[in-house]
Amino acid sequence: MSQLIWNGLFVGSFYGLVALGYSMVYGIIKLLNFAHGDIYMLGAFGGFAVLGLLGGVIGTTSFVALLIVLVIAMLLTGAFGVLLERVAYRPLRGAPRLSILITAVGASFAIEYGVRLVAGPNPRVYPLRIGGESIDVLGARITWEQVALIGIAFALMIGLNLYILRTSEGRAMRAIALDPKASLLMGINVDRVISRVFFLGSALAGAAGVMAGAYYGKIDFLMGFVIGLKAFTAAVIGGIGNFPGAMLGGLLLGLLESFGTQWLGGEWRDVFTFAVLILLLSVRPTGLLGERVTERV
Amino acid sequence: MQSRKLLLAATLTLGALSLTACGQGLGSGSTADGSGPITIGMVVPLSGSSSAIGPYMQNGAQLAVNEINADGGIDGRDVKLEVADGACDPKTAVAAANKLVSSDIAASVGGYCSGATLPTLPVFAKQDIPMIIPAANSTQLVEQKLPNVFLINGTGAQQAQAAMKWFDKEGASAVSLVDDNTSYSVDIADKTAALLKESGGPDLAGRVSVTAGESDYSANVNAIITSHPDFVYWTGYYQEGGLIIRQLRQAGYQGPIMVGDGSVDGSLVQIAGEKQAQGVFATMTQTPDTLTNASGWIADYKKAFGADPGPFSTQSYDAVRVAAKAIEDAGSTDGKKMISALEALKDFHLFSGPLTFTPEHTLSSGGFVILKVKGTKFELEDDLS
Repeated sequence: MSQLIWNGLFVGSFYGLVALGYSMVYGIIKLLNFAHGDIYMLGAFGGFAVLGLLGGVIGTTSFVALLIVLVIAMLLTGAFGVLLERVAYRPLRGAPRLSILITAVGASFAIEYGVRLVAGPNPRVYPLRIGGESIDVLGARITWEQVALIGIAFALMIGLNLYILRTSEGRAMRAIALDPKASLLMGINVDRVISRVFFLGSALAGAAGVMAGAYYGKIDFLMGFVIGLKAFTAAVIGGIGNFPGAMLGGLLLGLLESFGTQWLGGEWRDVFTFAVLILLLSVRPTGLLGERVTERV
Repeated sequence: MQSRKLLLAATLTLGALSLTACGQGLGSGSTADGSGPITIGMVVPLSGSSSAIGPYMQNGAQLAVNEINADGGIDGRDVKLEVADGACDPKTAVAAANKLVSSDIAASVGGYCSGATLPTLPVFAKQDIPMIIPAANSTQLVEQKLPNVFLINGTGAQQAQAAMKWFDKEGASAVSLVDDNTSYSVDIADKTAALLKESGGPDLAGRVSVTAGESDYSANVNAIITSHPDFVYWTGYYQEGGLIIRQLRQAGYQGPIMVGDGSVDGSLVQIAGEKQAQGVFATMTQTPDTLTNASGWIADYKKAFGADPGPFSTQSYDAVRVAAKAIEDAGSTDGKKMISALEALKDFHLFSGPLTFTPEHTLSSGGFVILKVKGTKFELEDDLS
């Protein structure tokens, strides 16, 4: 039982980290950024490239190396997120929501097959592998690396939450989420704030990508698709646009999958998971922590 | 979920293909009228999850085509290989098969993923085009009883028998089967489970199905471990196989692990990690590495393509030779005549042994062997003879 919970929490923290980016972007410009999962994939490949460049320099001290690579990959994916918004989404900001949604799907394809052109279709194996000795905690096998990865995930989530609640930039984001036009009139540079949101969300997804690469070892150009959908689901469970909700949704999704597999078998896992979600959303359509908002349109 | 996206891709591809197909249909109707090169088609995965395998098969087939052409072709006509990407996906594979049919091929020598090969059978059957399938080996392929379908790889049932022999030899008592829910993988797992349930041998400890394309299989691994097996048999492909081996070892499982022929690739060891993959067994048809008399062939392959041959290079090479033999024996590229010629084939020399088709159009002898991971490679462990 404790092993099931631990497995669920570990996977769930990845879902949560990626879900945050979905939630942030949706919260601020009401866009479901379907390319977000592919930014996770870009993070994994970015980290792979950085590791290749740094090569022998940081080969031995693996955990420190991971942190360095993590930060570089976050900067890279963050910058890419800004670029993506500037190229693919900003020109369409006044367009109907459906057009921009389709653009997001197109961006997703473009990133996937762009990476395929550069890195090839074969899976790559991370040169830096973490994962090692395990300890026994209440009957569950836990490795220090898992603890460290969950620690990093939570540190990033908490840092982001503080940034949004305590700083003036964070306040500007919340203001735009409420009413972009009024924010503009109040002297907020809306474009810059939106760029910042994309930077932060993409950097978090990139971090998750590097962590997944280093932990699981295998990366490929389609790896972002499944986790993108899962993270989107997590964001919806938690109440899309709500940050603690994204984390909670991620953890819950991880736990549901873990228990579904154990109780009903692997082939029934997704059936079980999504049946529970449908039930949950029919009771609370806005998600666990979502607030009921009156539709402005 | 993924299928919706693929549907979009397939629709776009189909649209693009129908444009190109028109152009080719006019120019190359030469196979039928008995002049010009004979085209042989091949659907293999060049993209997608199994894209590592496609080039091995394409090169193997191309090598045979080169040799036939160097010897003056078939009845003086050159052979041309036309390859289409099936992406290990049913919709893409059907589109690819349609494209090949429209370019008037005499035979098909492709087929890697059984799940993607199955829906292409009727496409070729409608035009009476013989399919000599080199790699895909789900029993479902021949259970359709289509006259044009021939397997030159052992079937899932034969692979299950090989696995069973090895469980007995290794003294396993409780075997857990893990599949990935694809046609190929479920077929082997089903056949193995049926054999395990018969009295006498080892017991079936448990069966687990995983969803392909994910990274975290800890929940599935947990389900395997709680069924307390002393032998785990993975019947899917190498990408997930590598992850599952690694996660099984991390979760503390120390018993033997075996994988099916879809997992035999160096990437399996890389993904699992060299330490974790040591000693992993595999049920596999003969590969160039495990054949004693193939060094000349390997040298030819290296010379032609600048790379080592891989899984199913030999089978693809053989498939082209079988197709050429059928055209020669039939004296024409007429599908029905070729099918009769294939059925009449007797002791044709293949890498895996002499080929005579059974009434079901499968190999009369399976030719499965057991490989074992040593270092970074699969090496021959036991030939099960």
